[in-house]
Amino acid sequence: MTTSTAAATRTTAPLGRLLGAELRWVLRRPRTLVVLGLLGLVPLAIAIGIATTGGPSAGRGPGLVAQVAGNGFVLPVVALGLSLALLLPLAVASAGADAIAGEAATGTLRGLLLAPVGRLRLVVMKSAGVVTVAVLAVLVVAVVGMVAGTVVVGGAQGTLVTLSGTTLGVGEALGRIGLVAVWTVGQLLAVGAVALAISTLTEHPLVVLACVLGGLIVFGVLSAIPSLDWLQPVLLTTGFSAGTDVLRDPMPLDGLGSSTVRALVYVVLGLAVTAWRMRRRDA
Amino acid sequence: MTPTTTAPGTLDLVPSSEPDGPAPAARARGLRKTFGRVVAVDGVDLDLPSGAVVGMLGPNGSGKTTLIRMLLGLTRPTAGHVELLGRTGADLPAALPDVGALVEGPGFHPFLSGRDNLLRAAATEPRLDGDLRAPVDAALERVGLAGGASGATGGGDAARRRYRGYSLGMKQRLGLAAALLVPRRLVVLDEPTNGLDPAGTRDVRGVIAELHDAGTTVLLSSHLLAEVEAVCTHVAVLQRGSLLVSGELTALLDGGSGELVLTTDDPDAALGALRAAGAGPYLRDGGVVVPAGPLEPPEVVAALVAAGVGVWEVRRRRAHLEELFARLTEEDE
Repeated sequence: MTTSTAAATRTTAPLGRLLGAELRWVLRRPRTLVVLGLLGLVPLAIAIGIATTGGPSAGRGPGLVAQVAGNGFVLPVVALGLSLALLLPLAVASAGADAIAGEAATGTLRGLLLAPVGRLRLVVMKSAGVVTVAVLAVLVVAVVGMVAGTVVVGGAQGTLVTLSGTTLGVGEALGRIGLVAVWTVGQLLAVGAVALAISTLTEHPLVVLACVLGGLIVFGVLSAIPSLDWLQPVLLTTGFSAGTDVLRDPMPLDGLGSSTVRALVYVVLGLAVTAWRMRRRDA
Repeated sequence: MTPTTTAPGTLDLVPSSEPDGPAPAARARGLRKTFGRVVAVDGVDLDLPSGAVVGMLGPNGSGKTTLIRMLLGLTRPTAGHVELLGRTGADLPAALPDVGALVEGPGFHPFLSGRDNLLRAAATEPRLDGDLRAPVDAALERVGLAGGASGATGGGDAARRRYRGYSLGMKQRLGLAAALLVPRRLVVLDEPTNGLDPAGTRDVRGVIAELHDAGTTVLLSSHLLAEVEAVCTHVAVLQRGSLLVSGELTALLDGGSGELVLTTDDPDAALGALRAAGAGPYLRDGGVVVPAGPLEPPEVVAALVAAGVGVWEVRRRRAHLEELFARLTEEDE
């Protein structure tokens, strides 16, 4: 056994090794892989739908999805917007649920605390796992969306026709797609932080999933009630529609900005609760 | 170990034979834990002498696991304090790299193989550096889960199969392997032979003996009395969250009983002769029992011989731990 002098005295394992172990664990978990695979089907399904119907059906106004017809680079943006309603939050919430509640349920949280990983380092390690899932989930939707948009739908030489009717070049189109992807990750991190916080309060991963998805649905219902308009600024879901702003020209930034700030507040609150609970939690 | 009791007078306590030995591996003082209105552990003072194999005995629900969890910092005591390898309070986790534990059964991920589960555990061990595969394979070998003909369980390469398919015994072995990944100063095993077959139980005893030889302190909780008697140097008995007695095993065994059991050709005559000599004999299972009292064994035999009673056998009965345990736990009933 190789034991250096550092190993003989230190009281926690190196953070890099902990993060590596966490990422390997997240990426080998069958659930993660299945969810990522299913997310890849979303842009594919839209692309196939567009390709077979060939655009907006008669009698209906051109919806957002219809914008994709003949305009392939819109597909990743639309697919991200649609997935953000439920599927992407589901993927991230399930990662957050497994991160702490799931470890408690399998009895492995004890082992991590006894190693010891360190309670705050555990929060860092677990957050890294959730961030990884959020980034990968968005990448899968965006990349499959771009490929499917190009191959199945096709576009005008890689350009993007905006909702405003202008045409963006390849470079700017890719920039817009990148921007919406980063913005979507930000929204998902808010969901992930809340999921982690709930995860520290229970030993049942399903409770976390139910709370997060139930919360998103409740937020949706609340925002649909006109007399509760004053609640809008605190509801995370209020900003979820801002992603399609990147399809406008010139691009309005207020929706993207305010939703990002709101997500950031959720991240801070979620992580604060997570760290506070993990310092005291029995395992 | 300082003998302690919460029921004074129920047991003759034997003073520790090494009061000035090295600092104890773990120490609990006034430890108490309540869950709502349920008192799980109450007023426990316990020392784990360095290098000892301490058996913690108690019926189910007596607070063994809660006590262990508090010793390891997994549960916060309601009152009292814990010292682990000299560390206490917020500093307690600093002792954990040198502590191996199997608490409340093995916990592993079902979708990973036993070996991959151990590699993940090894990554979190502060004492390991460099290549983690060597210590993992050594630990697997030690508990009989390594591949090839030496694997005691399941044949084939058990360690490379998914944990999902493990038998209870294999899961226990893997949990033991995780506790042994690093050379430890203290190893805590909570009912380690649960679900093990006789060969597995023997293997665990072997491992405990190796740890003891290497100077490691071992805390073993069990409700299997024979197990504790076979491997432990010290014993602590818990009942309803209170420590009934703790001390060296041999001292407790000697201190608990001094009665003589006699086999004679005429029990009635023996009873009469012994009563006349001042002992308080009684019959049990056809034998004459003389409780510890005013007469020493030679005097007992002399009295019988003088009365013309033929003595076939005289035996000093050492209290078997099971009897001690039964007596201790039944006294309160």
